[in-house]
Amino acid sequence: GPAAAQEGAELAAVIGATVPTGFEQTAAEEGQEKLGSASRISRDRGKIYFEVAARSLPQVHRLRSVDNLFVVVQEFKDYQFKENKEDALKDLEDLVKKLPWTDPLKVWELNNSLKKKKTKRKKHNPQSPASREKLSDGGEEGGADQSNTNDQEDCAQTPVSVEPAGGQDSENPQGVTSRNGVEEEEENEQSDVKVEVQASSESGAKAGDGQTGEGEAKVLRFRVTCNRAGEKHSFTSNEAARDFGGAVQEHFQWKADMTNFDVEVLLNIHNNEVVVGIALTEESLHRRNITHFGPTTLRSTLAYGMLRLCDPQPTDIIVDPMCGTGAIPIEGAAEWPYCYHIAGDNNPQAVKRAANNICSLLRKSESKDSSTAQGIPLDIIQWDICNLPLRTGSVDVVVTDMPFGKRIGSKKKNWDLYPACLMEMGRICTPGTGRAVLLTQDKKCFAKALSRVGHIWRRAQTVWVNVGGLHAAVYLLRRTWERAEDRKSFW
Amino acid sequence: MKLLTHNLLSSHVPGLRPGGGFPLRIELGRPSELPPEPLPNYEADEEFLRRLHHVLLEVEVLEGSLQCPDSGRRFPISKGVPNMLLTEDEA
Repeated sequence: GPAAAQEGAELAAVIGATVPTGFEQTAAEEGQEKLGSASRISRDRGKIYFEVAARSLPQVHRLRSVDNLFVVVQEFKDYQFKENKEDALKDLEDLVKKLPWTDPLKVWELNNSLKKKKTKRKKHNPQSPASREKLSDGGEEGGADQSNTNDQEDCAQTPVSVEPAGGQDSENPQGVTSRNGVEEEEENEQSDVKVEVQASSESGAKAGDGQTGEGEAKVLRFRVTCNRAGEKHSFTSNEAARDFGGAVQEHFQWKADMTNFDVEVLLNIHNNEVVVGIALTEESLHRRNITHFGPTTLRSTLAYGMLRLCDPQPTDIIVDPMCGTGAIPIEGAAEWPYCYHIAGDNNPQAVKRAANNICSLLRKSESKDSSTAQGIPLDIIQWDICNLPLRTGSVDVVVTDMPFGKRIGSKKKNWDLYPACLMEMGRICTPGTGRAVLLTQDKKCFAKALSRVGHIWRRAQTVWVNVGGLHAAVYLLRRTWERAEDRKSFW
Repeated sequence: MKLLTHNLLSSHVPGLRPGGGFPLRIELGRPSELPPEPLPNYEADEEFLRRLHHVLLEVEVLEGSLQCPDSGRRFPISKGVPNMLLTEDEA
């Protein structure tokens, strides 16, 4: 962690960010661009670290790749756990009083004052159209906050055991950047986070902002969340959270509270890598199992990662032909305003919701800038993906979340749908320079469909991701130079 | 629907001759404030470019229809969203 701030020295911090697995590199690039600082990508997938001045916190919050943030108290690159359970746990307890809490807690306080300024930024009303910040997407998953109590878990090497309903894919794609093994199990747990704290939790009392200013020592409420992954630990995450929590309570004389806490202490254990942190964001809203915005709304952080993969250039025409509630084009229009974004779907409900989401985006931009803030480069059309009313070769980028057999339609339908989609997307896309970024869970079906259209699409990169506990892949495809004929003869 | 989008749309009614679906005729709208042809050296004409940008990106058709030039088939626009779905019989 950072050295304690000296007199007059500026408060600095190491900030940890959880990002969609597979898009760590993307997030690091965004961080470099927007914060000007390099970041470290952790071996613990889905996490990257930035060293920043505490005053840069607002910019860190605005990163579009990031699901959650925490301030690092201390990192141990190679922590030696004792083999015996009691000893190992005692070590963790003893660790608490040795950790450099002071500066990270200052950062946490600073962060609270930032949160106060934002009005309802994180908590949005489920009934209203989504703000562009984070479209709630019920059930979409991944995430670091859940405890992992599977002692056999070894996410670095073991092939993933997919949940029963899905088939394990044996395909071996090119360009695999990372393989996700952990979140799968977490999604199977209940949404109640497995944290254990010694004292009984207080009910009814509302969590304050935990400001300890004005000389008044306010008793903070806290909880400990432990993520543990690796084969060689003699304890479970429950046990670690419990004992570590006990020591935290001793040390600070805080009150333990699992639901109304001010401070969330994070204990992340990934093999021999241990990171103690304090959360700076609340549990991601997309963690809840509600579907206010449609059954398969994509996390905006994942949408952002997919768009970056396309490498959008100014004046590019970017189309999402199966847009659902519009997560991707809305993210696109907000972050790449010099491109032109077109969203389309055949489902009238989806089109309606997407149009609502776009409207609220328009209203937000209007209120910010009173001088004509019209002209968001985004439009929506109702259409059929297999028969797009778009001119041949008129589109630079196609980016979409392909229907997953389990959620919408069926696997059998996908066998026919996927090839038809790829053909039509190939037709509308500019030969040579065009590209497509496609998310799908139906990897077998996709590979098969792709093999039939090798004359128009080449696979350039594959990113393994986790969507709602399902193992999915994002494929970057490049359009070949072969021209598509007009519709009839092309078929 | 913005004019720039309309630029990319083509009718896909089956049986059209190649290129016969473009451009769709916009029914409704107010007369454009643009000259019928771009003047030579329009790239340097800031005033013209502003009006062009406005018409392409800031004017929306909310209610109306798009008509296929060859077949005459109309695609409705409602609340700013064109419905380009073909019926079962047409497709």
